[in-house]
Amino acid sequence: MQKIHIIGLVMIALAIGALISMMSDVVEYSNFQQAIDAGSRVKVVGVLSKDKPMEYNPQKDANHFSFFIKDDQGMEKKVILNKSKPQDFEMSEQIVVTGTMKNDNFVADEILLKCPSKYKDEEIQLKKEEQKI
Amino acid sequence: MEYIGEHLLPGKIGHFLIIFSFVCSILASLAYFFSTQRRALPEAKGWRNIGRTAFGLHGISVFGIIGIIFYVMTMRYYEYHYVYAHVNDDLAYKYLASAFWEGQEGSFLLWMFWHVVLGGILIWKAKEWESPVLAVVAASQVLIGSMLLGLHFGSGEWEFKIGSNPLLLLRDVMQAPVFANADYLSLIKGTGLNPLLQNYWMTIHPPTLFLGFASTVVPFAYAVAGYWTKQYKAWLKPVMPWALFSGAILGTGILMGGAWAYEALSFGGYWAWDPVENMSLVPWILLIGGIHTNLIARNTGYSIKSTYLFYSLCFVFILYSTFLTRSGILGETSVHAFTEMGLENQLLLLILFFLGITLYQFIKNYSKVPAPEKEEATPSKEFWMFIGSLVLFFSAILITVSTSLPVYNKIVELFNPEHIAVTIQDPVEHHNKFQLWIAVLIGVLSGCAQLLRFKERNWKSYMSKYLKHIGGVILVAGVLTFLTNYWLTIVAWQHQLLLFAGLFGVLANLDYLINFIKFNLKIAGSSFAHIGFGFMILGAIASGLNKQHISSNRFAQKGLLDEKLLDTNVLIFKDMPMYMSGYRVTYTNDTMIGNERIFNIDYEKLDKDGNVLNSFSVKPVALYNNKLTKVAAYNPSTKHFLHKDIFTHIANLPEVEADIEARHAREDSLKFISYSSMLGDTIFMDKFFAIIEDINRDPKHEEYEREADDIAIGLKMVVKRPGFEQGWNAEPMLLLRKNMVYSYPTQINDLGVRVKLPEEIFARVFDMNQKLKFTDFTLKEGEEINFNGSKIVFKGFNTEPNNPEYTKQEGDIAVGAKLNIQDPDGKPWYTEPIYLIRGNQPYNLKDQVEEIGLHFIFQEIDPNNQTVKIGVAQAEQSERAIPVEMTEDALRSDYLVLETIVFPGINFFWMGTIMMMLGLAASMINRRRQA
Repeated sequence: MQKIHIIGLVMIALAIGALISMMSDVVEYSNFQQAIDAGSRVKVVGVLSKDKPMEYNPQKDANHFSFFIKDDQGMEKKVILNKSKPQDFEMSEQIVVTGTMKNDNFVADEILLKCPSKYKDEEIQLKKEEQKI
Repeated sequence: MEYIGEHLLPGKIGHFLIIFSFVCSILASLAYFFSTQRRALPEAKGWRNIGRTAFGLHGISVFGIIGIIFYVMTMRYYEYHYVYAHVNDDLAYKYLASAFWEGQEGSFLLWMFWHVVLGGILIWKAKEWESPVLAVVAASQVLIGSMLLGLHFGSGEWEFKIGSNPLLLLRDVMQAPVFANADYLSLIKGTGLNPLLQNYWMTIHPPTLFLGFASTVVPFAYAVAGYWTKQYKAWLKPVMPWALFSGAILGTGILMGGAWAYEALSFGGYWAWDPVENMSLVPWILLIGGIHTNLIARNTGYSIKSTYLFYSLCFVFILYSTFLTRSGILGETSVHAFTEMGLENQLLLLILFFLGITLYQFIKNYSKVPAPEKEEATPSKEFWMFIGSLVLFFSAILITVSTSLPVYNKIVELFNPEHIAVTIQDPVEHHNKFQLWIAVLIGVLSGCAQLLRFKERNWKSYMSKYLKHIGGVILVAGVLTFLTNYWLTIVAWQHQLLLFAGLFGVLANLDYLINFIKFNLKIAGSSFAHIGFGFMILGAIASGLNKQHISSNRFAQKGLLDEKLLDTNVLIFKDMPMYMSGYRVTYTNDTMIGNERIFNIDYEKLDKDGNVLNSFSVKPVALYNNKLTKVAAYNPSTKHFLHKDIFTHIANLPEVEADIEARHAREDSLKFISYSSMLGDTIFMDKFFAIIEDINRDPKHEEYEREADDIAIGLKMVVKRPGFEQGWNAEPMLLLRKNMVYSYPTQINDLGVRVKLPEEIFARVFDMNQKLKFTDFTLKEGEEINFNGSKIVFKGFNTEPNNPEYTKQEGDIAVGAKLNIQDPDGKPWYTEPIYLIRGNQPYNLKDQVEEIGLHFIFQEIDPNNQTVKIGVAQAEQSERAIPVEMTEDALRSDYLVLETIVFPGINFFWMGTIMMMLGLAASMINRRRQA
């Protein structure tokens, strides 16, 4: 057997090992029910419930922001984010939060917003008084 | 409809040039194709000349398109959607280029621009390789150029789109009522460049990165050309400088991205394993792998197939990275913003086309590619270099697989709509875990292999020298690793190993440079690059593992910040020094320049006794959006030292400072209590008391700029805390401008008191005039009268009258009557009503002593008798009360939340990466000379 074949086998073995090891870092996007059942750190995808209150009082605590999101199953939960309120938060189309369920609240330490692109902006900027039509 | 003021000609020329350049690129590619296919025939030269002409015309057209877009942008022709979407009137000229490549179409054009430039150089220099190489370059131009065509087929669900034209008219792209107006152009304004992109990084990073992207087509083209023309070995020489060039430029482009993120954005680091970063790194890694196998192939004849694959895959992965970043598929995993152009399928086609060419050629020629019969010797340079290349390949595969999970999700969803998308839980940890071993292997191999010899035939005699050197290097690297532990805190053994591997690489290559090639700088490029890699590892360990938040003061901040963040953030009030981790930090002021609000923060390093050792200032920025209504981003400011960086950024501002809407909402939600008080009387609130000292008819406020015809009223007040003599001044004001009332409240942050004026204050001040009943007195100078117990003496005229309600104008004849008053309590007062003739029209300007409610009008002058007629009126007690509104629970708004991170040894990282790039560049120059 040539060296190159041995190396090839070693590479394949390593690749399989690495892939198996990678699997442990992979998680499914969850909904709230799964987050409750799992009890561990998960990523939840949802949309902001604009009718529910958003609380952010930076003087009391600059790193405490709470809001409600609804997952794809329609379940709505309060999310407590241990960070400051992200820019353009209200404009997000979709929110991905990473964290765990605690006492019926989802306590998150990471957030990713998907914002609509400006190309989709159906509004035209007018000169006067920042009006939009 | 006939629209007014549109400039349609540039658009028409642009449309023509887009089509023309596209056709020319097809022609060039075909002509070069035939020139290659019939290279043995005399007609090959003719085909080549057609190819040259077509490529030249293509290049001129591409420059033309770019020129036209710049022209319409410069002229602010908002009738073009691209101009409207990326430019506004306020955009500085220096950001025009940034605005050009902000959009997808612009960045495609930038890419094509570089292809044209590189293609031009190849026509000039590539000699016998011109035809096959240019055939591939032109083909890539066909496919990228198709991204700009903007052709639509079919309709509804079956609508297909080929490309997106950058010169479409706004009214064709968007539908809005404004287009019902023929003169719509006079009404609209541009959106402008995203404020985050208005900095010099956006000017230099994209062209560098895109030159890097574009240059990867050349090694790919040479690889294809070599296989195509069956010159399996000959292409290995001319491709080398191009690959090295590409490696240096692409690497620099990626690093610039990291430097931008670190210097100007609040990411708090230079590398975050974000999908966008990963997918530009992967082609670079493949390119570096290719350069190494190329070197093996040139020296020994092994690894030709690997070189072909590395260079080809590098280009394919550039396209794949383009697909990932431009298809919107990464939306859930990346912090970067993406826009969908609806060109996903087209991009996919592009990848498959070039992947197809790559694999077809590879398989077709597999058995024809020559390779030495004998296996490479185990202690030879080529063998271990090849292992190193394999490690790089492995690294590329691992990064790609993890980053491609969104693609995996999309594909599985096609077959199984129930599929629940998967993702990496913590990407940074995940990638670091794997790439750590890659880096260890590369560090060790770059040292071990460097000292070996190509085609080793006499290992026995070389072995002892080799082992002596390697042994020495291991010893010194071990000692240095041990010593580094006095500087850095390294807990995990894996990181100790990584540190050792980095130092080993540095020392082995230093040894090679000194003892083997004796500082022959012509061939020192690889040593420098490898030393750079080692330093980069050292810098990453130092600045990554040992980065430390110094923005913490657990004692002072308890209760102000969340427990979890106590160690990372501090809240500091303006002008109140905060002690944190041995520093005294003071937020002194902030200024607004353009849409940047620049904060000045002073740092003073203290010793144990509180003496200042050294001090410096940083200026982090809150960047507002183009309308100045909201903070768009916080940009950091970093103090650089030789051995560390101190990185400061604003984590947060009070919401009322960061967002105008929030400020209005806060103002509306505050519970103001109305008070009514006589001038000089004390108003008692819950916790504090206030005194209105004066009514100011010419008030000032930091946010108020006076305009003609303004009617403004202000109060001079003082607010005090019971038991304290010292008071805080408050000067709220109210403005009436063109039937609109504007309130300018005053906030006393130390007390949480906010004062504003109700609209009734206008009634109080102006309506009173109508209610007053004046009694007229005729007075001589020095004469005294008695009015309601007050003594009034006329003290003569003032020809330079001074009254806040009077502004002097040209041609005025104005005179004031000086009146001394003694109120019934014996207190003296002074007042000066004015008699004014302006344009033959007499006016009487009232004056008053608010404190005692006496009002005076200078009715007329009798020059003959030297007398004046003065009207005097006493305001009713009830009418004299001044309304004011105050609240005691206004939240402070004079603070910011600060995050400060120390990055030790970060300069090792930058130095290492720059050395790598310079090493690549030096090698390129050397190989270029040889070729």
